[in-house]
Amino acid sequence: MGKGGMSHDNNGDDDGGENLAAWLVAQNTLKIQPFQLPPLGPHDVRVRMKAVGICGSDVHYLKTLRCAHFVVKEPMVIGHECAGVIEEVGSDVKSLVPGDRVALEPGISCWRCEYCKEGRYNLCPDMKFFATPPVHGSLANQVVHPADLCFKLPDNVSLEEGAMWPIGLVTLLAARAFGAPKVIIADVDDHRLSVAKSLGADGVIKVSRSIQDADEEVLLIQKAMGALIDVTFDCAGFDKTMSTALTATRAGGKVCLVGMGHNEMTVPLTPAAAREVDVIGIFRYKNTWPLCLEFIRSGKIDVKPLITHRFGFSQKEVEDAFETSARGGDAIKVMFNL
Amino acid sequence: MGKGGMSHDNNGDDDGGENLAAWLVAQNTLKIQPFQLPPLGPHDVRVRMKAVGICGSDVHYLKTLRCAHFVVKEPMVIGHECAGVIEEVGSDVKSLVPGDRVALEPGISCWRCEYCKEGRYNLCPDMKFFATPPVHGSLANQVVHPADLCFKLPDNVSLEEGAMCEPLSVGVHACRRANIGPETNVLVMGAGPIGLVTLLAARAFGAPKVIIADVDDHRLSVAKSLGADGVIKVSRSIQDADEEVLLIQKAMGALIDVTFDCAGFDKTMSTALTATRAGGKVCLVGMGHNEMTVPLTPAAAREVDVIGIFRYKNTWPLCLEFIRSGKIDVKPLITHRFGFSQKEVEDAFETSARGGDAIKVMFNL
Repeated sequence: MGKGGMSHDNNGDDDGGENLAAWLVAQNTLKIQPFQLPPLGPHDVRVRMKAVGICGSDVHYLKTLRCAHFVVKEPMVIGHECAGVIEEVGSDVKSLVPGDRVALEPGISCWRCEYCKEGRYNLCPDMKFFATPPVHGSLANQVVHPADLCFKLPDNVSLEEGAMWPIGLVTLLAARAFGAPKVIIADVDDHRLSVAKSLGADGVIKVSRSIQDADEEVLLIQKAMGALIDVTFDCAGFDKTMSTALTATRAGGKVCLVGMGHNEMTVPLTPAAAREVDVIGIFRYKNTWPLCLEFIRSGKIDVKPLITHRFGFSQKEVEDAFETSARGGDAIKVMFNL
Repeated sequence: MGKGGMSHDNNGDDDGGENLAAWLVAQNTLKIQPFQLPPLGPHDVRVRMKAVGICGSDVHYLKTLRCAHFVVKEPMVIGHECAGVIEEVGSDVKSLVPGDRVALEPGISCWRCEYCKEGRYNLCPDMKFFATPPVHGSLANQVVHPADLCFKLPDNVSLEEGAMCEPLSVGVHACRRANIGPETNVLVMGAGPIGLVTLLAARAFGAPKVIIADVDDHRLSVAKSLGADGVIKVSRSIQDADEEVLLIQKAMGALIDVTFDCAGFDKTMSTALTATRAGGKVCLVGMGHNEMTVPLTPAAAREVDVIGIFRYKNTWPLCLEFIRSGKIDVKPLITHRFGFSQKEVEDAFETSARGGDAIKVMFNL
């Protein structure tokens, strides 16, 4: 993965041996160029990419060349939400064969540090993650990846479904799948609320961006729930949303900070702590692919409605796709079909 | 408890039947006056108070007549950290007899709501807690209290140590919620009374290393004498935070698994969130400022969880066992002692409010 790089054949044709990828070459500049694959290790597989989704972080890298403390210092292949078909397997791979359709978990952990050894591998300091610099991403014709991070898709799960995973709405879907009796969702945007309703939210509440409205909105939210709120997921990550979350949640409940809005926040932390409302941090995921695939296979979760826009893999379409994703609005998940 | 009130005999003598208490009658005004006890219910005991400590919240009520959203609207007996001797037991009380020395857990929960029923009774919305208005406190000759909230002191535990169980309980509850054990390296922010009992509790829970940070040299030296593995002097200035995080991490010499913020300010919380390892916990114990500006997102993105603490639950037996066994010695925290007279009550609160070298001010009645 990270060992791949630019090859010197710049004709741009997708010939039999040429592997092309979408490279972030400069701020706001994506270019489809050759991407040389690393050699196939004994535990690796080579995957032909079929479906790749655009994430908010991909857009953020495109626009600013950075995300949190990660900085793009040299050209990097973008994209990490992906699924494809196995083309070749390494000598020690027993679980997969060419032709298998797989969803890819992007991050390669070290498996030597204490985080990895206790299972919290998502916190590995040496994590190599698709499209988190300096590691190349997966919006490409093909990638090489460890076999144990490629999960075979059930027959009734499509490649697009395998590549799916955006945040606020999937949290709603996941909470329902985990059996939450009632899930309500708040947003500033009417269209997004209607999408949430169509996805099964038990209630939707329109809120403002203004912190002064917080107290009033907490009451509206609590009324919409009609019961004490046990857990609040802040999938936006701003002062307003976090303050609302801390106030609206019952004593002894939890607020899960999922969204990465602002670094520093001014929030009523003390009154919440004095009601034993805990704040739980979330960074990516661990050991989630099997469960996600089972949820989709069984129909407990339907991610298809989240895919709102589709593009093919050409220079113009890559540019249009990112523009569409960055625009937000009615664009939820933008998907490439390769 | 809450059903007691002012009696009309104002001679102030501690005659055989007269029960006197320290009343908060107006801002900055305490008066020893009669305190009429409620009738003894079948599950109650009547306790003669012997040792009562002053808490920061008592001082706060004295100075401002409020604490968080609780407001003193009419005269109220102050004090809640207490221990005494049983004088009389209700008809259904089997566990205690007159003469027993007991430490009192202040709060009476309802035992009907969902919080109580799942054991998180400290969060009971109808909690009746000594000296949280409108419920009268226990700085008095006697109080009436449920027998199940009175814990018999082991023979080698003094009444003063019994009264110290209340603040110690906060540290114990925090250590439980934060899962302190032989593999958790602990940082404590703030070496005031709460920071110090948290230090003691963390050691008793088996934390391999406990270091403590404060702005005050004297408090740091007290912490060192109580067994802190390291002390770090920090400033009140937020600009120093990044540098101090490095000093703190160096003093620990290992990843910091749990940080207890026993002060509760932007600076201490920001330091805590930054200094704690990925996957660790920050326990907010102190009640400093209501709103805080803190780097919450980077911490959450490292899965540092923030755990809230409110008072305690089911901590008295463990506190008494820690003290009985010698695993915890609370005696050094008692720095000043006063008797129960009008002047001494005023001096005691002044001493406690002054801070400085005063850690726990104790009344002996």
